[in-house]
Amino acid sequence: MKFYKKLLLTLLGVGAAMGASAIEKIIVVNEGLWQSDNGTLSYFEDGRIVSNEWFREVNGEKLGDTPNDIILVHDNLEAVAIGTSGIVQFIDGSGKAVAATEDVPNNRKLASDGKYVYVTSYAHECTTVDGVKNFTKGYVAKIDVETFKVVSAVEVGYEPEGIALYNGHLFVANSGGYSYQGDHEYESTVSVIDAGTMTVKRTVDTGQINLSGIMSRSGQYLCINSPGDYYEVQPATIIMDCNAVLADKADAECSVKLNYASTYNTTAADGSFYAIGSVYSYATSAYQYNYLTIDPKQAMESAGSKGVTETLPGSLVEDIKKMTTPYGIYVNPYSGYIYGTDACGSADAGMLYQWSPAGELLGTYKVYINPGHFLALPTEQSGIKNIADGIVTDQAWYTLQGIRVAQPVKGHIYIHNGKKIAY
Amino acid sequence: MKHLLEGRTERKFLLAAVLLFMTGMSAFAEEPDSIHSLDNVVITARREPLATSQTLSGKELESLSSTSIADALKYFAGVQIKDMGGLGGLKTINVRSMGSQHVGVYIDGIRITNAQNGTVDLGKYSLSTLESVQLYNANKLDQCQSASEYASGATVYLKTRRPQRDSLTLLGGIGSFHTYRGRVNGQICRKGWSAFVDAEYLNSKGDYPFRYKSQYEDTVGRRTNSDIEYFRVEGAAFHRGFSSHVYAYFSERGCPGGIVRRLSGRYNNVGREWDRDIFAQASYKHDFHGKHLLQFNMKYAYEYLRYNTDYPENQNTVRADNHFHQHDAYGSAAYAWLPFNWLSVNVGYDARMSWLAADLKHFQPVRRFDEKAVLALRARYLGFSFAGSVLFQHLKDYTSCQVGAARPLSRFTPSVSLAYTRWGVTLRAWYKCIFRAPTLNDLYYTQVGNRNLKPEYTRQWNLGVEYQYADLQPWMFAIQADGYINHIDNRIVCLPLKGTYSWSMMNYGKTYCRGLNATGTVRYTPRNWTFSLLMSLTWQKDLNRTNPEDSDNYDIPICYSPALSYGITAVAGWKYVTLTVSDLHVSKRMWSYADPDDMLGAYDNIDVKLTGAWRWFTASFEVNDLFDVQYEHIPRYPMPGRNFKFTLTYSL
Repeated sequence: MKFYKKLLLTLLGVGAAMGASAIEKIIVVNEGLWQSDNGTLSYFEDGRIVSNEWFREVNGEKLGDTPNDIILVHDNLEAVAIGTSGIVQFIDGSGKAVAATEDVPNNRKLASDGKYVYVTSYAHECTTVDGVKNFTKGYVAKIDVETFKVVSAVEVGYEPEGIALYNGHLFVANSGGYSYQGDHEYESTVSVIDAGTMTVKRTVDTGQINLSGIMSRSGQYLCINSPGDYYEVQPATIIMDCNAVLADKADAECSVKLNYASTYNTTAADGSFYAIGSVYSYATSAYQYNYLTIDPKQAMESAGSKGVTETLPGSLVEDIKKMTTPYGIYVNPYSGYIYGTDACGSADAGMLYQWSPAGELLGTYKVYINPGHFLALPTEQSGIKNIADGIVTDQAWYTLQGIRVAQPVKGHIYIHNGKKIAY
Repeated sequence: MKHLLEGRTERKFLLAAVLLFMTGMSAFAEEPDSIHSLDNVVITARREPLATSQTLSGKELESLSSTSIADALKYFAGVQIKDMGGLGGLKTINVRSMGSQHVGVYIDGIRITNAQNGTVDLGKYSLSTLESVQLYNANKLDQCQSASEYASGATVYLKTRRPQRDSLTLLGGIGSFHTYRGRVNGQICRKGWSAFVDAEYLNSKGDYPFRYKSQYEDTVGRRTNSDIEYFRVEGAAFHRGFSSHVYAYFSERGCPGGIVRRLSGRYNNVGREWDRDIFAQASYKHDFHGKHLLQFNMKYAYEYLRYNTDYPENQNTVRADNHFHQHDAYGSAAYAWLPFNWLSVNVGYDARMSWLAADLKHFQPVRRFDEKAVLALRARYLGFSFAGSVLFQHLKDYTSCQVGAARPLSRFTPSVSLAYTRWGVTLRAWYKCIFRAPTLNDLYYTQVGNRNLKPEYTRQWNLGVEYQYADLQPWMFAIQADGYINHIDNRIVCLPLKGTYSWSMMNYGKTYCRGLNATGTVRYTPRNWTFSLLMSLTWQKDLNRTNPEDSDNYDIPICYSPALSYGITAVAGWKYVTLTVSDLHVSKRMWSYADPDDMLGAYDNIDVKLTGAWRWFTASFEVNDLFDVQYEHIPRYPMPGRNFKFTLTYSL
């Protein structure tokens, strides 16, 4: 029975692939093992893994050690943060290496407005066009994608992690994650930077330490994970309202704390967040997972008492429970298809899961070691390739279907001022 | 000369097994005219074939191209070395794929322990003061042993050389990659006492070139931050059943990272390590008319480790400067009763207290009290031999760490061996069950530790045969082959269960290993000449049996486990000149399960060493890795490739 189902799905997949150009194009970043120089990109297209060594196959060289993040810069440019190699690598839509810079060592997460790439770094040194800058804490660097040089860098908190761009401002979650060995404590702040001038406008205290790992944005809201300190301070999820921050509201009014972990989180098609969180208990030495759908608006408005449902679409929870080491969750912003990864034994190949937008498991695919980050590429179906210049200049955001949206969602493609933009 | 002969009788009694591979030539280098008297030792030195063991000693040990114990052990069947490259790179051994923490390393019968991480860095111990290096699968089976000696899955014995005469030796060496070495050794023998002091200094920049060439890359570079400087001084004193040893080792070294993709030479991942290791140990054995044997051991050890990554060249890791202090006090008593000449009964009790302190955050000093008791029987009747033991271990930790101490551990583990010998051929079968307790790092290390870890169990079954022929001078042959099965349960591994950047220790994984270890020795020693051929072979199939539902990984070979490896060492000596050529072959092996391309290539490492003696001088010249095969033990940690070494020794 299962076999026939699989066969049918495969046939459907093949049919779809033959019928037209691809619908689903996903890059999965496999971190590999630290110091083994085996970070790779897997390229998945319509129900099949095209390659688990995509970068190497396209470019004839290796990607590097421990890639941490991948984003879309514009239609035909992606950036990969390769942390331990200390490289930010730029590739085009076909995976071809375009440029790379080594000026931002120990880089972590990326954001972009299409002209610049903003990258957080745990390091203390940054080579900019104005010379080498040194920082006591971590920093955010701004890379011009015309020249691929760092045009400026600004110090934030220790070990800055997640970064999101909203309304001309960068929201940077500071972790202080090295504090277990370093000479400082955990951070509990979000640094708010004017992306144009690269100056810190505000530092918002969330009251919760160690804002580390994945951070997702849905419109004006951020979903920030805090693993706690692994001892007394329990994990939590911070939902932050960027508009409140920019409106200069008091720190306490800018975010709410939810008593759930959201170790792996993503923005769902309807603007909510999906999260898988692992909570470690020293009492039992066991990990407990929670599975969440978070409505950020409701969570903010109710001060955290509402807006969280312990569920994920369809069979997701059931399927994730069968994983050895859940390692990531992602929703394709163009199609709503849901993806998850299992790192398995961490020295063996991880698995990529694909679900329909309703949460029906469509297939599992072998990828590579520690698959942790995803990027959906725009496709023909999601795209209007040519837009006549200067027709629409009303500053509003439209979906590709031409529907005006009040709140663009990160990672989605919109039409804005006559240009197709990945928000 | 006189001392040498006296020593002979005593050694014959106590150390018969040790002498198996010791030829007349071993003494020849020191005392050319003693060759005949020692030949007798070789003939009568029948080793105990009940246990599976291998030995390198005397001339053959000296003639190998080796600076550390790891270099000598790699020639044994069933041994895999992990070496991060260069003189300063961490060197650990793994026997029959059980993992390095299942290997106990003993200096003169007393275990070198590291409660923090459970492994011994073999690079810290010198070969130059050793008489022999022995490997026992399971454990040695002497009449009188301490309980600790029964407590590991495989056992390496380092036997310190007892001085036979007064001497003073000065050594100077120079090697590739800016390596300089000096050593002084003084020996003295008076009134039944013998003692030595040995001091060594080494400084190496370790800036060796490497190249990674494949279809995806052509990376050429020179290893940086691979330097080491150490000073070692040790002394030992012996008197009949009494032996004592004091040892101190101080070093500073660079800890280079893997060779990973870089665009330039900036920010090479770096850390630096400082070690101070000190130990003092003593043991006493007494034999009451061959009916009762008593043995006492005592040891105190202190280990200091500083690891620092806090400087500008390092941008890629945490900026840490951590200091670890370990103290270890150990005492054991063992008694053997030999009521009949075919039976012996051994009881032993060991106690060890270990302290670990570190300036890690969320870390408090941990104390571990480790008690072991053993009851063992040995019987020999006609051609049959039997040995059986039951070991009891009790471990209890004390700490004010926030997470609290792990629950105490109490376990009994058995082992049993059977052998039958006829016409010089021995058939043997043995079984051993043993565990390794979680180390203090496994349990308490900040963020990573998991105090609920269970011990990692190994069960070994072994079926072997050996034959030794030494009755036709000047020929000698020995051959042995052992087939084995190992089960390893509850492997202690580190997994990222708290999130991508936070790993933690877990019990995860089962391994099922089958293998064959074989060794062969041929020796031909006509007058003035010596020829030896030593061969070892390992064939193994080590399978992952973790999760039957995981069809991609179940029943496939475990990482770092080559299917085939062999070593061939040929030694030819004439009077004052010795030439040694050795080849070590290791077949390809996976280093991850993820991709068939994640493979470390097969290699042949060929070393050549030429030694010549003239009057008070001995000179040796070595070429290691003759064909400059750039192999790796760990991916992206290249080994040095071809290198040269010249050593000049002056002895009085």
